[in-house]
Amino acid sequence: MKIDVQSLDTFNRLAHEGAQEATASMAQMTGIDATVDVTKISLIDRADIGEELGAGSFVGVEFGFEGALSGDTVLVFERGQTEEIVESMMPGASTDDSMGQSAVQEVGNIMMSGFIDGWAEHLGASIEHTPPGYIEGEGAEILPDGPETGEHDQLFVFRSEIGWEGESVNFFIYMLPEYEPMAELMAEYAETDADAIPIEKLAVFNQMTQQGTERAAENVQQMSGIETEAEVSQISFVPIEDVPRQFGEETFVGTAVEFTGAPSGFLLVLFDEQSAITVAEGLMPVEMDSDELTEQHKMAIEELGNIMTSGFVDGWANVLQQSVDHTPPRLVHDMGRAIIDPLAAQLGQHQQHAFVIDSKMKTDEVEFESEIHALPNEQELREALDELDVERADKTDADAGQIF
Amino acid sequence: MKVYDGSQTEQATDSRPERIKVGIAEYEVTTETAELTTSGLGSCVGVALYHDPTNIAGLIHVMLPVADEMDDGKPAKFADTGTELLIDEMEAAGADAGELEAKIAGGSDMLDFSEGGSGIGDRNITQVRETLTAADIPIVGEDVGGDHGRSLRLETETGNLLVKSANREDQRL
Repeated sequence: MKIDVQSLDTFNRLAHEGAQEATASMAQMTGIDATVDVTKISLIDRADIGEELGAGSFVGVEFGFEGALSGDTVLVFERGQTEEIVESMMPGASTDDSMGQSAVQEVGNIMMSGFIDGWAEHLGASIEHTPPGYIEGEGAEILPDGPETGEHDQLFVFRSEIGWEGESVNFFIYMLPEYEPMAELMAEYAETDADAIPIEKLAVFNQMTQQGTERAAENVQQMSGIETEAEVSQISFVPIEDVPRQFGEETFVGTAVEFTGAPSGFLLVLFDEQSAITVAEGLMPVEMDSDELTEQHKMAIEELGNIMTSGFVDGWANVLQQSVDHTPPRLVHDMGRAIIDPLAAQLGQHQQHAFVIDSKMKTDEVEFESEIHALPNEQELREALDELDVERADKTDADAGQIF
Repeated sequence: MKVYDGSQTEQATDSRPERIKVGIAEYEVTTETAELTTSGLGSCVGVALYHDPTNIAGLIHVMLPVADEMDDGKPAKFADTGTELLIDEMEAAGADAGELEAKIAGGSDMLDFSEGGSGIGDRNITQVRETLTAADIPIVGEDVGGDHGRSLRLETETGNLLVKSANREDQRL
């Protein structure tokens, strides 16, 4: 089954417009101004869905849907926002739990009906949905398990992040369709063979990224003694200008390289400031006096970024049976969104959309988290996927010497 | 990307001015008392236009220099078509183009891997300057180049443009 950039774009847009309509209905009901920041379509491991919700407390509504597409869709708010919603709908009303619950349910119902109807209309097919159910929970636990994946470990997920004007808090819409019907539908919408992507290889690419991340994590562990685990790997598709929007204004430290080969592109290794200090101290023989991020910390990060990049890129190179070279790492210490912005712009000179490959590693022992983001050249990625031998996907831990 | 003309912003009566976010490849023009904000400019450029007599203000966040090579129907994404679009929208909102003033920020060369020639940040800035010059709009304040990111806040009451960076002092243009 093959899909193309056109069909990915069509569905991304559909989800985005659906989210916009849902947001507009909320604005009408509550007077709360909000905008859809970003919508992305991702292929991701079931277990990793909702990872971006962190540990916060959420409430929301959940629907099942059936018809041209089947699956689950949810809308979740941060719990703290319910008060504002209740107040805007019923000024002066007490904000006890039951009131909050019915307000969330009402807003959610209106928003999500619009969202599903938008899909049905566009697809020219009917999609039935169940009555909304109120849900609450911590972080990713609030999300439904999603449809059975059958032989697939991964699901296509549509995610919209909606920002509240003037507030740092957000809410999210997730749509989790069953894999097969979604894949078939996207294949139907493919227009040309020329830029077709074999859909099953996207999943293989994710596995390869996962293994690249594991290698990078091993390198961190060897150097710093901090035991880390590769957590999330996903491949997403977004318009190029939406790439920086997924990053916040928080400050990160890390390295960027340009890699060449098939595909070429950019690779970022990022640490939040606290993680950077933690991991850098693991690398340094002597205790540092300062809690602040110093030049010595940064030098350690630069070295670590280099090692992690090499581990990650080697993982790819082994599967692709291509050599992948990269430039020396450049150290960055800036707001996340500004770091990714020039990389997206450089790709944006030649392409209107981007595949973004994200992975994360974490540890429970100390406060440590690191992200790896790859932005491959779209056309070259398609070619690489086309040539990718599915059998080789589990070969990333092979000895590089066997191949080169 | 709508123009705020006052008919749809009744709730902005509290003391804090309404904050309007401008995303990458987007613009906003407002005739109201508000703060237009955009964040995470790396090589991107923020162009702020202000009409002092009426306090009409506009902000755009452009990503690439020239629309020509890649016509994808998103004029706000490019320095040339985006700046022109913002000027048009300012006029449509009631500002006299002959009385507009511009402030620009961004266009850093951080993480630019292009070999030889100038990077995207530089070219974005050059293009914005050319387009503003062609429209006879003076640049009365700027904070461009360097190797750091920026976030902007344009105050419509004064036309002040606040430039924030991760590791530097805030600047007021």
